[in-house]
Amino acid sequence: MQALITTWRHRELLWNLASRDLKGRYKDSVLGLLWTVLAPLFMAAIYIFFLRLLGGRGLQISMADIIIGVFAWQFTVQCVTSGMAAFTGNANLVKKVFFPRILLPMSAVLAALVNFLLMLVVQLPLIAFLLWHSGGMLSVWTLALPVLIVYHTFFNLLLALAISAANVYFRDTQHLVGLGLSAWFFVSPVMYPLAFIHDLAQKWPWLENLYQLNPLTVIITGYRTLQTGAPLVLTPAAIAGWLWPLAAAALVFWLFDRAQRNFADLL
Amino acid sequence: MNAIEAQGLGKRYRKAGIGAPTLRDALKRCFRRGPMEDFWAVRNLSFAIEPGRTIGVIGPNGSGKSSLLGLIAGTITPTEGTVRAYGRISSLLELGAGFHPNLSGRENVFLNAAILGIQRADVLKRFDAIVEFAGLREFIDMPVKHYSSGMYVRLAFAVAVEMNPDVLLVDEVLAVGDTAFQNKCLNRILDFKRRGKTILLVSHALETVEQFCDEVLLINKGQLVRRGPPGEVIFEYLHTLLAHVGMLNVEEYGTHEVEIRKVRLLDRAGQESVRFTTGEPMYVDVHYHAQRRIENPVFGFSLKTGNGIYLFGSNTQLLNQRIAAIEGDGVMRLTINPLTLMAGRFLLSLAIHSWDHSVQYHRQEDCYPFLVQDDRGHHGIVQLQSAWEARPAP
Repeated sequence: MQALITTWRHRELLWNLASRDLKGRYKDSVLGLLWTVLAPLFMAAIYIFFLRLLGGRGLQISMADIIIGVFAWQFTVQCVTSGMAAFTGNANLVKKVFFPRILLPMSAVLAALVNFLLMLVVQLPLIAFLLWHSGGMLSVWTLALPVLIVYHTFFNLLLALAISAANVYFRDTQHLVGLGLSAWFFVSPVMYPLAFIHDLAQKWPWLENLYQLNPLTVIITGYRTLQTGAPLVLTPAAIAGWLWPLAAAALVFWLFDRAQRNFADLL
Repeated sequence: MNAIEAQGLGKRYRKAGIGAPTLRDALKRCFRRGPMEDFWAVRNLSFAIEPGRTIGVIGPNGSGKSSLLGLIAGTITPTEGTVRAYGRISSLLELGAGFHPNLSGRENVFLNAAILGIQRADVLKRFDAIVEFAGLREFIDMPVKHYSSGMYVRLAFAVAVEMNPDVLLVDEVLAVGDTAFQNKCLNRILDFKRRGKTILLVSHALETVEQFCDEVLLINKGQLVRRGPPGEVIFEYLHTLLAHVGMLNVEEYGTHEVEIRKVRLLDRAGQESVRFTTGEPMYVDVHYHAQRRIENPVFGFSLKTGNGIYLFGSNTQLLNQRIAAIEGDGVMRLTINPLTLMAGRFLLSLAIHSWDHSVQYHRQEDCYPFLVQDDRGHHGIVQLQSAWEARPAP
């Protein structure tokens, strides 16, 4: 609550910091902001190409699913990577100017959110086209996307807060996070649909439960449900996957508040 | 009500924690027994400052001045005790912090203003004045990474002084830019003073502190050593701390066959002082002790500005003054009359060496700092005898 009030009071600064991130990132590149969309599009294209090439005919992979997965995954990755440098990359600022520390990871997430919204502007027509091409159409539930985006952003903020603070205390964090992201990429349904792990789930049901507890699993599946009309997964594990980040939020905010007091000494 | 209140303020740093922290260090810390090696940057500091006062904070390097300002500004969290500042605090500690090198000067003005808590509407209104003050009109749309360091700091300062705080913290920023810009900065700070703001000024420029401040805090090793009127506290600082603790960049060498035991700087009235006035005499009594009989010693002195510019040097030999011999205790008096130095901080060096310069008995380089004040408002380092007269046109 306190965080909300201070954020509101400093909204101008928050926006300024975020726009600094956005402007600074693409300032000297020819294609500029276009990279925001091009990078994940290329990634999606690469995954589709190689999955088709390596997976053979037996594999049922829809292009729409991969694009949705990669775009949502990119949003989280961007929050994690720019959140990681939120303090270590702004040491001078943290040491010398007083303002609520939480604004730095928040602005990183805000900048990533703006990027993600731009990506969606390209993504939605693309998905609509792909679905139309295979005889379907965009689900009306697409209108509910904002709710999911708010939840996804909140989850990313928790990640950014935890990682930005951890990185101040232990610079090992940046290496661990690199490893963690590569593992997370594969245990989340980014470049494959949920049905992909169906066989696995038959053999070890507990493993599927564990899989569903991963908030990114439910978030990415959620994006697919809303846009393509894929069935919503509502197992107890999936519901737990939705809810536990909300419960963890209090802990994250509390820990962050304690940790930020020593930032100026450690940077 | 006070503008700033500190109560038992202390800040501890762990010596082991200096440098980039890693997981390994943290684990090591968990398993180690025994007390940590600690270092208190500031400890047991209690003071209160009434609103509208301009307070100077002086002390040797590493004495805790900047930590104190950080604690007041809120960037550093105290380990013990409390510090409170009432009203809006702004600090000129962060010149250019938060500038993004890829953004233009214009964009950085708005960004920096937001970081310092200045409303966007106010910046818009004052934008031209800011740019004018920084003197960067034709460069304002250039990315700041192409700025020279002087331009960078000037722009940062121009934004920072747009703040309208109740308490202003200034840390050594007056040392930026060329002389013309420094004067502009000082005027801005005087302006804050006139408007009744509380100002805390950390500086090594003691003349500035003496000129501006109503009161001075002397800090050493994290402790408040003394608080009082600028003249007295600066005297104590120069006299006891600087020269004797070796905080100056002093050098001392020689065979010590003759030793300089004590040096007293005396003003016109024969009072020991570190503050002298342009145009008045200055006396230096050098108390020496010669361990054996020394034939034809030479006594010399030299003067440098606080910035190390060599001004003048002379000795008894150059003055054709042959001292037959010295033995045991004695005093030599150096008289400089009139003192033709202008306001500023100066360093006196003393030396005793043999007639043929082959043996340095004792040389004290830059050991004796003193201040000169001038009440006639001339500029520069030295006073030259000058006069103007009207002449008939050719």
